[in-house]
Amino acid sequence: MQPIVEMRGITKRFPGVVALDNINFDVLPGEVHALLGENGAGKSTLMKILSGAYEPTAGTVVIEGVEHDRLTTKQSSEAGISIIYQELSVIEQLSIMETIFVGNLATTKVAGIPVVDHKAMYKRTKELLEQVGLKRDPMTSVRDLSISEKQMVEIARAIAFSAKVIVMDEPTSSLTDEEVNQLFAIIAQLKAEGRSVVYISHKLKEITAMCDRVTVLKDGTAVGTRDVAGVTVDQLVTMMVGRELQGKYNEKHEGHVASTTPILEVKGMTRRDGYVKNAEFTLYEGEILGFSGLVGSGRSELMEVIYGAAPRRDGSVLLHGKPLSIKTPYDAVKAGICMLTEDRRYTGILANFSLRRNFAIGEQIKSSSGGGLIGLIDFARELAIAKEQGVAMQVKMRDIEQNITELSGGNQQKVLLGRQLATDAKVIIFDEPTKGIDVGTKAEFYAIMRRLANEGVGVIVVSSEMPELLAVCDRIIVFAEGKQRAEFPIEEATEENLVRAATHYGNEEENQ
Amino acid sequence: MKEQSTAMERFQDMWSKYSTLAILVLILIVFSALAPGSFLSGNNFLRILEQSSITILLAVGEFFAILLAGIDLSVGSVMALTGVVAAQLMVMGIPWPIAVLLGCLVLGGLIGALNGGLINLTGLPPFVITLGTMAIFRGLTYVLSDARAVSGLPPEFSAAVGGQVLGFLAVPILVALAISALLVFFTVKTKPGRNLYAMGGNPQAAWFAGINLKRHTLLAFTISGAAAGLAGMVNVARLGAAEPNAGTGWELFAIAAVIIGGTSFFGGEGVIWKVVIGGLIIGTINNGLNMVGVSAYYQQIAMGALIVLAVTLDRFFGSSSKR
Repeated sequence: MQPIVEMRGITKRFPGVVALDNINFDVLPGEVHALLGENGAGKSTLMKILSGAYEPTAGTVVIEGVEHDRLTTKQSSEAGISIIYQELSVIEQLSIMETIFVGNLATTKVAGIPVVDHKAMYKRTKELLEQVGLKRDPMTSVRDLSISEKQMVEIARAIAFSAKVIVMDEPTSSLTDEEVNQLFAIIAQLKAEGRSVVYISHKLKEITAMCDRVTVLKDGTAVGTRDVAGVTVDQLVTMMVGRELQGKYNEKHEGHVASTTPILEVKGMTRRDGYVKNAEFTLYEGEILGFSGLVGSGRSELMEVIYGAAPRRDGSVLLHGKPLSIKTPYDAVKAGICMLTEDRRYTGILANFSLRRNFAIGEQIKSSSGGGLIGLIDFARELAIAKEQGVAMQVKMRDIEQNITELSGGNQQKVLLGRQLATDAKVIIFDEPTKGIDVGTKAEFYAIMRRLANEGVGVIVVSSEMPELLAVCDRIIVFAEGKQRAEFPIEEATEENLVRAATHYGNEEENQ
Repeated sequence: MKEQSTAMERFQDMWSKYSTLAILVLILIVFSALAPGSFLSGNNFLRILEQSSITILLAVGEFFAILLAGIDLSVGSVMALTGVVAAQLMVMGIPWPIAVLLGCLVLGGLIGALNGGLINLTGLPPFVITLGTMAIFRGLTYVLSDARAVSGLPPEFSAAVGGQVLGFLAVPILVALAISALLVFFTVKTKPGRNLYAMGGNPQAAWFAGINLKRHTLLAFTISGAAAGLAGMVNVARLGAAEPNAGTGWELFAIAAVIIGGTSFFGGEGVIWKVVIGGLIIGTINNGLNMVGVSAYYQQIAMGALIVLAVTLDRFFGSSSKR
């Protein structure tokens, strides 16, 4: 079969880095082709070349037999390439209809003057939404949609532009299981219509469940392309990391030594906005405590209110038996509670800062006084922290002075964790710590969490990925609709148990 | 190909560091060529410094509002109000150092804190709040002064603040440089200074990192107000009287100096010393065009063109072009 996209000998150099080295990658009509690799392996760069956003240093892109030495974004999109980025690029103020037709408005002539044809667009949007199974009115504001719905709008937009190849970058990283299934159904349908999908993901299960072929990238080179039917998960992992993982991803960890010394006690925690009601838990020394539940169930919301980032109505927090008065994240950091937030880009990295400054700011805030308004910067200490954490976290970087946005997502996350560790925190809250991170880095994070717990640091993990919780936690609390619904010691926790607790729970206390 | 990109990078690096200085030098050369007799002299350069001192004081304060991706439109009005209040305190017989301390520095800081507090309380953009307080403080100035200049100030005040030291160096220059140096120290060496940069770049990430956003907003606008108060002091000393319409439209000079000085309007990027140069550029253009004999109307056109040009060049060669 003639490939619809053929990328030949693609090389991309950035100053000081070879991001892609002689990559060959092709997409057949009607196939779902997975692109797999660790963070920084070059997946996004390759797709940016396909979209015309980057110019390759060497190599050609052939789309439907037409060779492009210098592909522009316009040519790429006109040739039917459509990319749905991980960080969705929808404009919140627009309606669904406007989002789909922006840049491509339907027009009709009134008295010879072309004007926007709202009627035609409305009708077409309705059809498109039906096609992707989104039950929303075309005039709904994008602001009111969930992440998965926004994704569907982007897919509808791709179809409207008669895309032949749709690239999806980590499409399931913020979706619930049900939404993932819905997405898979849409992908199957796209495939049936003869469209191709390039599917970028770290979730091996998804790849084996749904893709036809898989190409693995590692450090900017293509390790190989395989038919998914003939490859095992273990083989893929080996191709991806090129080394044996320490502590396998799906195995339960060795039982920890139970302790009865509490580190953190949370009592009657209720948010002012009501997203969390009367939450209570105790974190003991030496354990890793997990929080499971669907997205929006109140897990992250609970962590935010403990951390002081969201206003609380009621409740108390005790650290090593002493009550804390936490009203802002500053108070939390001062008290020794740190949080690695869910959304790296919006609540994590300081994009205008170098790695050095990003590493050091946690310690600087902690050692400041007067609400953060008093204190001098110790430049020697700052550099020492950055160097130490850069090595300890094994951050792949060119220079400690380089801007943090130049790093891949996984390496940015390592910098953020390094920032927390440099504060000598007593409790660290990990909120979706490995979202969009490759298997190798995940294993490193898990090892760090275990080490911290053994050293007496309180470790809390919030995650949507149940295998992750099962792999690292000693105890798991399940949240749904702002309340705790169940608690399992690791010996009794299974994916089935967690899902059941998160979806079937009693409503007896609902009417208090 | 690779060579080319690194040469470009080096140029961008140089540009982001020295572009403001280069513009100043270029302007100095142009005016020296056009009016070698009157412009190109040591005395005139000292005059430019003195004339720029008020713009610099306003600009280094304004810098903090813009660093937070905000703006402070009230600085011109604050300058007038603090000048009038300090002058009235002096006329009432209060010793001038105390009058200046209370009427300019403390009142300016309090007014700035009021701006910051209103922004925190309402959650409205600084543009809206300071647009309002700009009018309020201007009106208050007219009410307090009965729309008349406050004169009859103690001569020691004008001699001390508006005079010279060592026989040639005007005190306003020293005030502007001292405050600028203090703020360089603040932005580079202190934690709140660093925090303001973090906040300007990404307030949400700064909040989760442990930075108290409201407190720092309050601080930034307090600095802006206090600097405007000092500008008010210098202005009164130079004129020997407090004009209620002083500083009308000067917020635009301040903003222009900050922007020409390479500060990002989107927050989180910029340095004080370049803002000082930005203030000097504006002072030089005004002075030079006078020397060349160009009317004040054209001076405004030149200033506007320069703002657009500086920001355009920065967009292509500055640090933000790399992303």
